Amino acid sequence: MIRTENLCKSYHCHTRHEVCAIQDVSLHISKNSFVVLHGPSGSGKTTLLNILGTLDRPTNGKIFMSGEDITSFSDISLSRLRREKIGFIFQDFHLIPRLATWENVSYPLIPLGIGQKERLEKSKVLLEKMELGDRLDHSPEELSGGQQQRVAIARALINNPKIIIADEPTSNIDDETSERVLELLKELKSSGTTILVATHDAHFEKIADVVYKMKNGRIE
Amino acid sequence: MIVGVNKEDIPESISCISGRMFGNPNEVVVGHELAGHFHLRTGDQFSMRGQQRKTFTVVGFFSSDASIWGSSMILMSFKDAGELFGKQGVATDIQIHTLPGHNSEIATDLYDIFQNEPYRLQDKHMVELYFKKGFMLKEGIFSALYLVALSLGVPAILVASGFGLSERKKEIGIMKATGWNTLEVLEVISFEQLLISLLGATISILLSILWVKGFNGVFIAQFFVAEITMLPKFTLPARFLPLPCMLSFFFAFILTMVGSIYSSWRASTESPVVSMK
Repeated sequence: MIRTENLCKSYHCHTRHEVCAIQDVSLHISKNSFVVLHGPSGSGKTTLLNILGTLDRPTNGKIFMSGEDITSFSDISLSRLRREKIGFIFQDFHLIPRLATWENVSYPLIPLGIGQKERLEKSKVLLEKMELGDRLDHSPEELSGGQQQRVAIARALINNPKIIIADEPTSNIDDETSERVLELLKELKSSGTTILVATHDAHFEKIADVVYKMKNGRIE
Repeated sequence: MIVGVNKEDIPESISCISGRMFGNPNEVVVGHELAGHFHLRTGDQFSMRGQQRKTFTVVGFFSSDASIWGSSMILMSFKDAGELFGKQGVATDIQIHTLPGHNSEIATDLYDIFQNEPYRLQDKHMVELYFKKGFMLKEGIFSALYLVALSLGVPAILVASGFGLSERKKEIGIMKATGWNTLEVLEVISFEQLLISLLGATISILLSILWVKGFNGVFIAQFFVAEITMLPKFTLPARFLPLPCMLSFFFAFILTMVGSIYSSWRASTESPVVSMK
């Protein structure tokens, strides 16, 4: 489903030195697989996830998604790809504080031209599944870290994506909620979704189909 | 107001209350109110802005019973006034004193005398009206400058300081990460900014009116009217006419709109990762 060839990402820091966040990363992610990226902080996991999730562009190398080289895609095409195929779960949730819970969940549906009533219904279904049915009108600030993470997961699922990309999804939540997130991702995998997770959490490695170990921007 | 008049033609209603009447070149007498305002004393010297080669010496102060010879006037010789204004030997006005109730008869006689000459005939009330009109025009200039400055200044400070920009930028990053493209982001942001700009411009105008009418231009009036302290000791003359208000509103609106749309556009053309940081 996703294949990369010699992906590199480098940055120019303030001292004008070039810093390579990832180097020569070539990997293959099959459809309906549970893939875990494991590695210490600063090993390049988040950078790789951002590039695979089309949130950032590589400096060199290619990414093929369903056989198409997406590195040459325009901004509009990448947005369409994210909208139709990818759901992103962020480490620090990235919810919009001024919007209610259901509005955060349904935000990706607005550019699809879906009306408010339908957006509310869809969000409600997902939030009830996340056991947040009674928090529809709450603002993110009124929710706990675990609840915010579940809202972020609901937002990632609202478009029925084929790939879920999760960056440290359990690092900011308690153990009990972590287990629920893990169970949820397993359920998604069993329903046919491809899961790609960057994590330190050893529990994920146990259920993963493939584990890629990263160190110093390379896959070992 | 500066009046050039020969010493022997000075009206009887004007009397020196201290010092003496001017006699030599470059000597002036000053109305007592004007002298009080500028703290002038006999022997002080001054020159006029734009005509600094000619220095005048205050030799006395006067008061007047007639309102038209206001006490905020400077009197000097006809020759000095001609030199000061670059109109030597030219009298722009001739003052005629009449007995009360004889104005129209005198006017008719003057019309017969000067019927083929270019001249204007004004009575005391008309001259007073001119004074008032000039004063009101100055109010208009003050209001317009002040209104434009404040209504542009407030949004400019907000835009330049990036008020709310980091939150907005992050939100744009989240929008793009969840599938919005740049045009869709800009469409929504523009609509929101339109409402914010309308609100911002309205608040700027209302604030500027409140500042002058409610707080008498405290702290700000000195930047627009000369010789005013931070706390004006009199009611600040100001008028807010529809046209300057509308123009100021328009410019404030455009400034806020352009500033915020530009920063939003920049954020929306960056990769979502950069915007979300």
